[in-house]
Amino acid sequence: MTPILNVEHLTRIHGKGCDRCLTSTGPEHDTNICPHCGSVVAVADASFQLHRGEVLGIMGESGSGKSSLVKMLYFDDQPTSGRATYDLDGQSHDLFSLNEAQQRRLRDTAMGMVYQNPSLGLNFDISAGGNIAERLLMSDELRYGVIREKARALLARTEVPPARMDELPRNFSGGMQQRVQIARALSTGAPLLFLDEVTTGLDLSVQARILDLIMELQEESGVSMLVVTHDLGVVRHLTTRTIVMKYGRIIESGLTDQILEDPQAAYTQQLVSSAL
Amino acid sequence: MFPTDTMAQGHEGAEYGFAFLDEDAKRELRRSIFKAVCIPGHQVPYASREMPIARGFGTGGMQVTLALLGPRDCVKVIDQGADDSVNAANIRAFFSLTCPGVSGTTLTEAASVIQTRHRIPELPLRNDQILVFQVPYPDPLVLVEPNAATRRRMHGRADYARLWVKLYEDMVAFDEITISHRYPTRINGHYIIDPSPIPRYDVPKLHQADCLYLFGAGREKRIYAVPPHTDAIPITFADVPFTVEEFIDRKTGKRHCCRRCGATDSFLDEFPDEDGNRVFQCSDAAYCDSRLMQQEAAE
Repeated sequence: MTPILNVEHLTRIHGKGCDRCLTSTGPEHDTNICPHCGSVVAVADASFQLHRGEVLGIMGESGSGKSSLVKMLYFDDQPTSGRATYDLDGQSHDLFSLNEAQQRRLRDTAMGMVYQNPSLGLNFDISAGGNIAERLLMSDELRYGVIREKARALLARTEVPPARMDELPRNFSGGMQQRVQIARALSTGAPLLFLDEVTTGLDLSVQARILDLIMELQEESGVSMLVVTHDLGVVRHLTTRTIVMKYGRIIESGLTDQILEDPQAAYTQQLVSSAL
Repeated sequence: MFPTDTMAQGHEGAEYGFAFLDEDAKRELRRSIFKAVCIPGHQVPYASREMPIARGFGTGGMQVTLALLGPRDCVKVIDQGADDSVNAANIRAFFSLTCPGVSGTTLTEAASVIQTRHRIPELPLRNDQILVFQVPYPDPLVLVEPNAATRRRMHGRADYARLWVKLYEDMVAFDEITISHRYPTRINGHYIIDPSPIPRYDVPKLHQADCLYLFGAGREKRIYAVPPHTDAIPITFADVPFTVEEFIDRKTGKRHCCRRCGATDSFLDEFPDEDGNRVFQCSDAAYCDSRLMQQEAAE
């Protein structure tokens, strides 16, 4: 079976870049800034596969390139080199060779993103229902009645009180904003979701409820997820397989249990043992 | 319509060529107009010249009109449907001063070029007539996206979902779409334009018309067009029909009629009369006058 997402040699360098950028940065050099040209190597030569219905964790400290990686796959940023293919309904899309319109189409209809900061994923000037309507409208649903019903159902599913559907999300609590974001990401029934630090900054009980919600939704719909986090609890809770990044490199990958119980790389050992 | 020899001679007191603008300016305007006609609904940038009136008083429409006028043209200028308001009267006076040979008229059917602010004449326009709009805000996306470069990209990709979100929010708050003028209208299936502050009543007249509609924004430096026989569809939801002003009297359930000519098929202005009563009158003065004349002739 072909993986839903196949990422090969993805690299992102901020700055002008030189021939020695990749060979003089990374965990062994203890930096991601090239000493020769000063460019920042955000992601270097990252390759991995995401299978259908799988939840893959991307773990690492801040600045390790995990968010950069997901941003490129969601077309928020463009890679310096490398390729990624997205297999949708048996048809393979080479993500970075699509033109802008095709990329937007794919992003609007077949991908969902939940950002750490709800202000990135939501428009605070329009109602919670309007935020979901926007996604539906982008995928060419132009029936007001249908949009309204779908938005109501999605908000109910993500445990946002339907009575607050027409309120501005800026009046919501952080956990509720995150729920609206999840509802928005789910609205088009996309088979691929990116979750970027979804629980960071929320209190523990809210974190647990959001994680439960994500797990339930995953079991219901079989959606594939790429979960970016620095929180070991999230990784343990949600994911079956994990990759660990440092200085833009993937330094370890494998089953989540295996990585948490028997980490091989020195950095991963340090990360796992430093859990509070 | 485009004269080759346009340098007017013997025009007393004026040191300007025919139609005020220099030939290079008119040439540039005509190129932009052609481009606008070729790409219906696309906002074509142009170098808006300084005019002897302030920007915001119809300089965009004036420049388009001046680029079109030739000595045999007949021009009509209206402001909210009226020929005799200050803005319209002064612009017409300016045309007669700077375009010798061009005649002015208030009759819709006699004009070859009509410059307008906020209305489309009631009388259907013919294929030998051009309607020029004065446009304050050419870009409908300005309400949802502050960055001009992003807006242009959105137009290119026909990325208009956020305009519909505005409609959605309107429906949620008021159970109807409350946009009264400048109603976003999709041209030829792609670009969405701001049709200038015409009322909803006039928007359907843009669709598959016989005449050419040109839009000139002086301050914002854009020209766009709705060519003849082109689709112009006001945006709405599939299950929420676009509606126009109906002027229904709540007491009688009947449509208000014009207090001067009795018309029940025109766009009406509502205002208080000397005694403070609400009265209605045709906003298109030429239409109202011609109806009155017909009635007098019949008597």
